[in-house]
Amino acid sequence: MLVPIGITIGYSFTNKNPFNPPTKWVGLDNLTSLASDDEFLTALGNTVLITVIVTVVTNAGGLAIAMLLDRRGWLYNALRSVFFVPVVLSAVVVSVIWQAILVDDGLLNSMLGKLGMSDPPGWLSDPSLALYTVSWVIAWQGLGFCVVIYLAGLQGIPQELHEAAAIDGCGPMMRFRHVTWPMLAPAVTINTVMSLIGGFKAYDQVQVLTNGGPGPGTTSTLAFQVIQTAFNGNHVGYASAMAVAMLALVAAVSVIALGLLQKREVSS
Amino acid sequence: MTRNPTLLRGAALAGALILTGCTAGSTGESASSGGKVTLTFLTFETPNLDAKYWDAAIARASAKVPGVTIKKLVSPSADRTGYAKQLDSTGQFPDVMIGLNPAGFAEAGKLAEWSDNELAKYVEPRANTYDGKVYQLPYSAQATFVYYNKSAFAKAGIDAPPRTYDELLDDSAKLKAKGINPFVVGGGGKDSWADMFPLICTVATDVYKKTPDWLSQRSAGKVKFTDPAFVAAAQKVADLTDKGYIDRAGLSRSYADTEQAFRDGKGAMYPMGSWFSASADAKKPSFDTGVFAWPTDQGSSALPGVTGGGMTVSSKAPDVKLAKKWAKAFMEDEKNLNAAVKADGLFIDIKGYTPPDNMGPVYKESVSAFRQAQKSDGVVNSFSQETGDGSLPPGLADKAAAGVQKLLSGGMTAAQFGAYMDSQWDKATR
Repeated sequence: MLVPIGITIGYSFTNKNPFNPPTKWVGLDNLTSLASDDEFLTALGNTVLITVIVTVVTNAGGLAIAMLLDRRGWLYNALRSVFFVPVVLSAVVVSVIWQAILVDDGLLNSMLGKLGMSDPPGWLSDPSLALYTVSWVIAWQGLGFCVVIYLAGLQGIPQELHEAAAIDGCGPMMRFRHVTWPMLAPAVTINTVMSLIGGFKAYDQVQVLTNGGPGPGTTSTLAFQVIQTAFNGNHVGYASAMAVAMLALVAAVSVIALGLLQKREVSS
Repeated sequence: MTRNPTLLRGAALAGALILTGCTAGSTGESASSGGKVTLTFLTFETPNLDAKYWDAAIARASAKVPGVTIKKLVSPSADRTGYAKQLDSTGQFPDVMIGLNPAGFAEAGKLAEWSDNELAKYVEPRANTYDGKVYQLPYSAQATFVYYNKSAFAKAGIDAPPRTYDELLDDSAKLKAKGINPFVVGGGGKDSWADMFPLICTVATDVYKKTPDWLSQRSAGKVKFTDPAFVAAAQKVADLTDKGYIDRAGLSRSYADTEQAFRDGKGAMYPMGSWFSASADAKKPSFDTGVFAWPTDQGSSALPGVTGGGMTVSSKAPDVKLAKKWAKAFMEDEKNLNAAVKADGLFIDIKGYTPPDNMGPVYKESVSAFRQAQKSDGVVNSFSQETGDGSLPPGLADKAAAGVQKLLSGGMTAAQFGAYMDSQWDKATR
């Protein structure tokens, strides 16, 4: 793991272009150029937005579904498996399926048309919608993971705590606020950090669904921009600087989130 | 609950590093021993060129060159050049490749040069040179035509294809008035390259017809994408969209679905590479398909075409001589050429070759139009598909396709598109 990271960091200080040797040392030029690179900054903004959407949707949705499925019976067992299926599928497979649903004359718009909508949205072709569509697909695939973690958390809460709270006169909302939510703190930590990392490294869905478009950089993410810069533009040194910046960002966000959430675990 | 914050932070950081770490580099070698050699061969699959086509062609070439075992690699998308770069960066550069854009690879010494003797059978042996050297067998030509639905034209009262750009606009208006979508254009996701065809046509008629070496002039800094000629070409595309002649639904469709949309009658005209002719003949739509070249303002000929598309061989192949021998056997085998013509509608540029008699009417009409344009000196470069000296810098074709998507979606004006292209050119060549 350390070797490729070390090599990437090394490349980030060069102008390496495998099709235009020789490679020269450029110091911090690549990293400083990132600060004024519109494409990089757009990709950074997109990545942050995707990460926020994915983290919120997977956690809120995952918790809601987990609470609905926190019951005994074959139906609930089956539903748990159903929600987990997207997690084990390849992101490319999931994206291809969603593409068939979301293209302008795809399944979703055909249904909306039958319901009377004359000009249904261009989920993937409208630049103002495409980023949210991609975020939804990433969140949909990650939802099952959060459901399982929250279910494990819910099933680990002693029933006596709920009973004691009920005897003390707590209604369902109060029990959720004062018993369930605090006891789920470790699950929240795991799901939040994993969702953050998942959002920051979004690539496959972007590549299949939009290829960074429609239009220049509309749905481009940091990972997508790194690949494009390295393998289409041949600017491996500059792409390595992007990868290093991405690495630092993900590491920093993960550590900060982990620290804050663990502090909450202790206090609760 | 037992917790170890330090351990957890470390694990999270390690996870982040694993999940985001990436690199490039190192080289590798293929096997060659005892007079036998295993060569990797990079192909790409499309609706026309499926796995069966490639396997049969590989088998025929291998039968002619004993001692060669081929390991087929398939590009995950039509962008085999981008995939070849990825393979190169991980030390897996293929030994033989077909349809690769040699730009960058050639200059970097990664490809073996073809000699005059090896190119003797080719009609235009020096179609794509890099500093005077040839790295790709120029075995075929392809052009961009407008394929049209004859039934839709008849329904709109159009009895002949347009000969001038004004006639094209008039016909589009007539089609729209009859409730027929004039143009099917599309390519979403990884197929955004397929959105380029209207611009390929307008750049041919409005820029390359008057200035054939326009891209070379752009390299020399003598012209810019913001110059009136190029902006006018982009404006034509923007106008077609603004008038509702190009269906924006195509921006989310795959290339295969776009072709199917034309087959399904979801539009009357389909600007597309000549490879569609084979598909139109092999799986005939419910209507007759006609062919015309995108018209110029005055009605003269300006057909965007590109010659090349053949085999390239890695200069680091385990046995370059044998790899070249196999590549030529693949290219020049008559059955392979016939299969390529039937599957991909190629215009073969190998001396003495004639297409099978049983080729369909759309292919024959396309070949006839291409040969006629050649005779009248009416074939010009195909914007973003050029190879050889005077082609776009690496990566710019993808950027152009992204810009065209925004042009088609109405999010960018023609002037902004020109400025965007200049900015991308500067970035690509910095």
